[in-house]
Amino acid sequence: MSAAIDTIRFENVSKFYGEVLGVNRINLSLSPGITTLVGPNGSGKTTLMNLMTGLVQPSRGKISVLGLEPSNATQFFCNVGYCAQFDSFPRGLTGFQFVLDSLMLFGMSEDDARDLAVEALERVQLDAAAAHRNIAGYSKGMRQKIRLAQAVAHHPRVLVLDEPLNGLDPMARAESLALFQELGRQGMHVIISSHILDEVDRVSDRVVLITGGYLIAQGNIHEVRQKVRDKPMQLLIRCDKPDLLASKMFAVNHCVEARLHADGGGIFLRTGDVDQFYRLLNEIAIEGAVKIEAVAPFDDNANAIYQYLIGSDGSTA
Amino acid sequence: MSVFQHDYRPYDGPTTALWKRPLVLARYGLGEAWGSKITVGLAVLALLPCIVDLVLMYLANNPVAKMLVMRGNPLLEINEKFFLGMLETQCWFALVLAAWIAPRLVSFDLGDNALPILLSHPISRFSYVLGKFIALTLSLSYVTWIPLLVLFVYQCYASPVPWTMGHLGIAVGMFVGCVVWIILLSFIGLAVASWVKWRVIATGAMFAVIFVPAGVGAIASTVLRTKWGMLLNFPVVMSELWQRLVGAPQLFPGRMDLPSPALVAVLIAASLACVAVLNARIRAREVVRG
Repeated sequence: MSAAIDTIRFENVSKFYGEVLGVNRINLSLSPGITTLVGPNGSGKTTLMNLMTGLVQPSRGKISVLGLEPSNATQFFCNVGYCAQFDSFPRGLTGFQFVLDSLMLFGMSEDDARDLAVEALERVQLDAAAAHRNIAGYSKGMRQKIRLAQAVAHHPRVLVLDEPLNGLDPMARAESLALFQELGRQGMHVIISSHILDEVDRVSDRVVLITGGYLIAQGNIHEVRQKVRDKPMQLLIRCDKPDLLASKMFAVNHCVEARLHADGGGIFLRTGDVDQFYRLLNEIAIEGAVKIEAVAPFDDNANAIYQYLIGSDGSTA
Repeated sequence: MSVFQHDYRPYDGPTTALWKRPLVLARYGLGEAWGSKITVGLAVLALLPCIVDLVLMYLANNPVAKMLVMRGNPLLEINEKFFLGMLETQCWFALVLAAWIAPRLVSFDLGDNALPILLSHPISRFSYVLGKFIALTLSLSYVTWIPLLVLFVYQCYASPVPWTMGHLGIAVGMFVGCVVWIILLSFIGLAVASWVKWRVIATGAMFAVIFVPAGVGAIASTVLRTKWGMLLNFPVVMSELWQRLVGAPQLFPGRMDLPSPALVAVLIAASLACVAVLNARIRAREVVRG
C-alpha cells in the first residue's frame, strides 16, 4: 500500500468563515494509528475535523484522505466515520433505528444494515434493550455510545471523534479507549479531540497541537517533548540515596531543579540537557555510590506538552 | 509504539444506487411528519370537505335523491366550477398542513444540530433537501390531488350520462394545479423552516410569506394603479392559475387579468428564491460572521 493512499494529508490548508479564522496554513500528514488533536476551546480542532470529514471545504489548500478528495463524495464518506461533538440526533428515533438509517444512507441494503447495526451496538457495548428505546430517553453516556456506534458501523478506515469521552463514566471511558486502541492497532486512522488529556495520552501514537488556528507541533508525544528544549525535562529517578544523587546532579549546570519524592525513595529532576543527564547518570551508576532502581520521564505527556506549548490560557508559550 | 497489524477491513459489500439514498431521508421525514397527532388531525380535517363533496356528487347524480333532496334544484351542477371550488378548498388545507409539517422536517434537524451527522454520509445537501421535499410533497398529495382525482373518478362512475371524455381536462387541470401548488408550498415550507429554527415561529412565518406580500401587492396595485402588484399576491396568482387550468369561468369577472406567462414567471421566481435560501442555510456548519 503506497504512503499516499494510507495517509491523511493537509497541504497548506486554510479555512476562513467570512472574516473569522478557522485554521491557517496547516501542513499535516497523518499515518494510521491514534492521533490526538490538542488545543484550547476555539483553537480550530473542530474545524480541522470538519475539513477531514469533508463537512466544510478549505478556503485554500488541498486535503486528501487515503488518497481521496472530499469532492469524490461517495467513496470519501464511505471511508470516513464521524462522531460529532454535539448532542445531535434526528428526532424521534431509537438508537437502533439511528444506526440502521445511517447505514442505509451509506448505501447498505436493509439486511446488511441490520447485521452491521447489531455488530456496532455490540462493539460499543450498548445492550439490545436500550438500543430499541428512543434516544431522547438516553443518558449522556448512552448518547455518546450510540454516536460512536453510528460512526464505526459502516467500517470506515478513518474515524474522526470530536470529544468522544465527554459525559462517559470512568468505566465507559476505559471501554471506549480500549476500542480506539484496538481499531488503531488494526491499522485504522483514529483521530480524537479531547480535553481529557491524561487518558488519551495513554493510547495516542501522536499528538497534533493547535492554537488560534495555527499548528504548533505534531508527532510522537516523546519526540515533541524532546523538541521543546526551552522547558527543562522532568524525570523521576527511583534510588536508594536520593539526597546524594541530588547533590551529584547539582554539580553540573544543566540540572536546574531537584525535588525529593514524597516517599523519600526518589527524586524529581529538571534538566536542560537530557543527553548529558543520562551520561552523568550512567557514570553515577557505574561508581556504585547510588543504586538506581528506575528512571522515567515525568512530563513527556500530552498534558505537559499542552501546558508548555499552549499554556492554560490558550496563549502560545 | 504501536504495531499496526493492517488487518482492518472496510465494508466491501454491495451498496444501493445513489438515487435511492434520499428515500431514506424521505422515510425519516414521513415518520417525523406523521408521528404527530396534530398532523393526523389536520389531514382528517382536510378530508372532511371531500366527504361533503362526495355526498353532493351523489345527490347530483342520483335521480331519486335529486328529486327528493334537491327538488330538482339546478344550482348543483357537477362541472368545472364545482371542481375548481374543491381544488381551491383542498389546496388551502394543504397550506395549513405544509405550515405544520415543513418545520418538523427541517427546523428540528437544524435546532438539534443533526445536519453535521446526516451530511457526513455520502449524501449531498441536494439529496438532503430532496429527501425532505419528497416527504413533504407526498404528505401534501394525500390531501390534494389524490382525493380530488378519486372524486373525479367517482363522478365518472356515477354520472348517468357520458361525462368522462368531455371533462378529462378537469382531471388534468386539477392534477397540474395541485402539483404546482405542492411544489411551491414545499419550496416555501423548507426554505422558511431552514431559516427559522423555532418550529412555532416557522409555522407562522409560512403564513406570513404567503399573505404579507399579498397585502404589499394590493397596496402597490392601488397606489400605482397597476395590475402588476397582484403578482405578489399568491392567493390571487394561484386562483387565476387554477381557474385557467381547470377551464372554469372566472370567479371574479371584474378582476384585472394577469397574463399566464407572468403567473408562471412569478411562481418560478418564488421557487428560485427558496432554492437560494436553502442553499445558504442547509450546511453542515453555520457560517460564523465576523
